[in-house]
Amino acid sequence: MRALKKPKAKDYLLLVVAIVLAIIFLYPVLFALMSAFKSNGDILKNPAGFPTSLYTQNFVDLFAMSDFSTAIINTVILTVVSELLIVCIVPLAAYAIERRKSRFTSFIYTFFLAGMMIPFHLYMFPLFKEMKTFGLFGNMLGPIVCYISGSVAFGTLLYCSFLNGIPLDIEEAAMIDGCSPFQTFWKVTFPLLGPCTGSMVILNGLNIWNDFLMPYLVLPSGRAKTITVEIASFVGQFTARWDIVFAGTIISIVPALIIFCMFQKYFVKGITAGAAKG
Amino acid sequence: MLHQKKRGIDRTALAFIAPALILYLLFIIVPTVSSVYYSFTSWDGISPDIKFIGLANYKEIFTSARFGNALKNTIILTIFISILENVFALALAVLVDNVRWGKNFFRSAFYIPVLISGIVSGFIWKIMYNYNFGAINSILTQIGMGNFKQDWLGNTSLTLIMIGVVLVWKGAGYYMIIYLASLQSVSTDVIEAAEIDGASPWQRFRMITIPLISGAFTINFTLSLINGLKVFDQINVMTDGGPGFTSETLVYLLYKVGFTEGRQGFGTAVGIMLLFIIIILNTIQQKFLRSREVQL
Repeated sequence: MRALKKPKAKDYLLLVVAIVLAIIFLYPVLFALMSAFKSNGDILKNPAGFPTSLYTQNFVDLFAMSDFSTAIINTVILTVVSELLIVCIVPLAAYAIERRKSRFTSFIYTFFLAGMMIPFHLYMFPLFKEMKTFGLFGNMLGPIVCYISGSVAFGTLLYCSFLNGIPLDIEEAAMIDGCSPFQTFWKVTFPLLGPCTGSMVILNGLNIWNDFLMPYLVLPSGRAKTITVEIASFVGQFTARWDIVFAGTIISIVPALIIFCMFQKYFVKGITAGAAKG
Repeated sequence: MLHQKKRGIDRTALAFIAPALILYLLFIIVPTVSSVYYSFTSWDGISPDIKFIGLANYKEIFTSARFGNALKNTIILTIFISILENVFALALAVLVDNVRWGKNFFRSAFYIPVLISGIVSGFIWKIMYNYNFGAINSILTQIGMGNFKQDWLGNTSLTLIMIGVVLVWKGAGYYMIIYLASLQSVSTDVIEAAEIDGASPWQRFRMITIPLISGAFTINFTLSLINGLKVFDQINVMTDGGPGFTSETLVYLLYKVGFTEGRQGFGTAVGIMLLFIIIILNTIQQKFLRSREVQL
């Protein structure tokens, strides 16, 4: 009914407020985007203005002066491998918790969720010591196992709340037809959890993509680590070459933006489902 | 069939849970529990000789000015962030919910800063805050407000607030999504009934919408407090805890003493204090805020 009404003064007012706020929220992103295509002199002379031409030398310099391609590859490997393993491990645990309810599984649920309260900074020193004993310090495997264990709490929460809404009938039919619990899960239930998997992979993957402290401290020094770690080190290293750092920030932001534009609804679903039960 | 309770151990459930449980125990619970032990030692992070020194680290925590300063900074930053994030997030959610054109565009615009990493957002704002070459001072000069020009991060009375601004900008969109979902679940019948009864828009918002979204408020406020306590990346890239110790928070203190001063035992003791604060906040949330929620 509302859509049929003629726009009122209030509607125009709200639109103006929304536009002003959108400009404020997007300005820093635009600022980074514009600066990445300006020469260093231009950034210093005219920080707030638009670039005069599409200047791409910054990206050429970025790859020539640092090992940024290794950093990109490392970031992609960490994100993709961790997410693949998380998808193999976490939904299975959530399924057992939600579908095979017992005192044991409900204890595990609470136990996992308590993990959300523990800040990484609290246990990082003993964690690194432990990783050294297992030979996980100084290679990619270290961050990967930590990302998996770090995703157990939020992942369980998300999958359990989605599993709640999936009817049991289909699973029961599959069991009667002779599927083992393991087959029933992967062949029948898991495909139905698609939207949940999407939400978890996207929200969690973004955290890994953007993570700083873990790769900074765990990956071997003297070599390029990840995109964010490289950017952080540029800030100290190229104090006079902001143009190069901005080129790096664009490479960090753009993939996240593309994923966001393609899978917006998964972001919204994941955040709201996580909040509803947390 | 599926809900049948069995006696003894449910082997299937155990097998399904085992991989997650083992990793969770090994890489979260074991280091957490052992950090309790390390907090009673003089561990330096390198030498294998770890001495038990009893409560010395905790004694230092309660007497040292540096810890007091870090605690004060953490409280200021966390409260600043939590209040402003929630005010902005709720305002943005109401705006997106009511704007007539471009709902999707505006929702995305306010969410985009959430996608940016802590390090990158810190760097972008650090450059914008720069005294001589930053966009903020340049814009102020252009619009004739040049006397408001500041060394935004160098002015010690502003440093923490300026870091807080970055975090509010980066975080508000996340909480907006939660408020928005909550606002959209408020039934229009109730609102329309109040409208017919002659309630003004403000009264309807204050008396109906606010109580009904109190659940979202509880979760957002708790999340923003906990996230505020854990801020690290922006401080690392923008100020490194400085100037002096003006922006050194508990997490940053913990990192500095552990990695640059070789005092990981003391660092873990600071971490234990942080965990205590988080547990207290969670308990308050459960006891106080939850009880005030309204459900239809």
